[in-house]
Amino acid sequence: MRWTDVKGSKLVSTTTADTVGKVNGFLLDPASRRLVALQFKKTPQGKYARWGDLAGVGGDAVTIAETDKITDADDQLSGFVGKDHEVLKKRVLSTEGDELGKVRDIEFDPDTGTLQALVVDGNEVHASRLVGVGSWAVVVETD
Amino acid sequence: MRTSEVAKLPVVTFAGDDIAQVKDVVYAADGGAVAGFTLAGRGLLAGPLKQGLLWQRVHALGADAVMIRDDQALSGVDEVVAAAASADGQGRSGGGKVLGSRVLTDSGVDLGEVVDVVIEVGRPSGPDDASDEPCDVVGYEIAASESLAARRSNAAKGTKLLVPLPDQLAVSGEHLMVPAGAEGFVTDDLAGFGASVAEFRAQLASERTTPATIAPPAPTPAPTTAPTTAVPPTDQPADRPTEGELPT
Repeated sequence: MRWTDVKGSKLVSTTTADTVGKVNGFLLDPASRRLVALQFKKTPQGKYARWGDLAGVGGDAVTIAETDKITDADDQLSGFVGKDHEVLKKRVLSTEGDELGKVRDIEFDPDTGTLQALVVDGNEVHASRLVGVGSWAVVVETD
Repeated sequence: MRTSEVAKLPVVTFAGDDIAQVKDVVYAADGGAVAGFTLAGRGLLAGPLKQGLLWQRVHALGADAVMIRDDQALSGVDEVVAAAASADGQGRSGGGKVLGSRVLTDSGVDLGEVVDVVIEVGRPSGPDDASDEPCDVVGYEIAASESLAARRSNAAKGTKLLVPLPDQLAVSGEHLMVPAGAEGFVTDDLAGFGASVAEFRAQLASERTTPATIAPPAPTPAPTTAPTTAVPPTDQPADRPTEGELPT
């Protein structure tokens, strides 16, 4: 599944069937190459829900059973929050020091949150090549 | 690549952080390789850093960044300077001393003034984070002198041309000596320059092993007016000057 298919989706509670927010972003752990949480807006409390706390990530909506699992960034999540940890629109450098383009989208497994690929200016870069995400660039292993 | 393109490149860790940028390229004592870089902080107002980067600690030098594994790769700037200190203790290592120097052939022809230095980056050899191959200085970009321009159909005085360099160099603050044969390999095409350098060095190597031809270039710069006993090898370009030889 591509991020652009999920961004802007509504977040719906499976217990009340109410829309409780809107998908706005994700937190990526480059070391484990997994999306650890989704970030929402318009939620009543908090902005994040861990991937394991979501009931489903579908093409039309993201669902959550217990809305009290939506939280503010705690110690564990705050390490992935902020501009330095953002991958979208960030420049991509190979470990050889050559710029490959910018991250336009990502591909991930909606069940597990596993990152599958970065879409870099139309080319897919397999997630196994991801080395780091920092203040200047997303670094990927040279092809 | 040209060293002017290296200055200001960000120094980026594998974690994607730009922890510094290149301030100056520091050359090894003999001028034939890059010893490392002095660094400045990132951003407009950042000044020079007390840390430098030795070439051996660089993972890769690319078109858009100098890649290092992490900030452990940095060392004190004095270590970088020490790596560049020359045997004669004069520290003729600064890029500033090379830029602006005149390139002289050992037969006494002034080819022009150095405006840039061309380096060839060795590919890092494997999974470890250090580049084992040296970062070789393979040529100079020069603004052609009048005498060089006069002998080339496609150049005027001041035209930027590339001169290949031998493995070993004689460098003073004033002159950079190259074998006369270098003139035949002068080109204006950076893309084909690597081949020029390889060909030129192969020719020098064969001259060294062939007893009937020219001795290797003198290791120290000679004054321009000094006579030389060098005899041009037979495969030199036909228009090669002989003004270095005095009439007897």
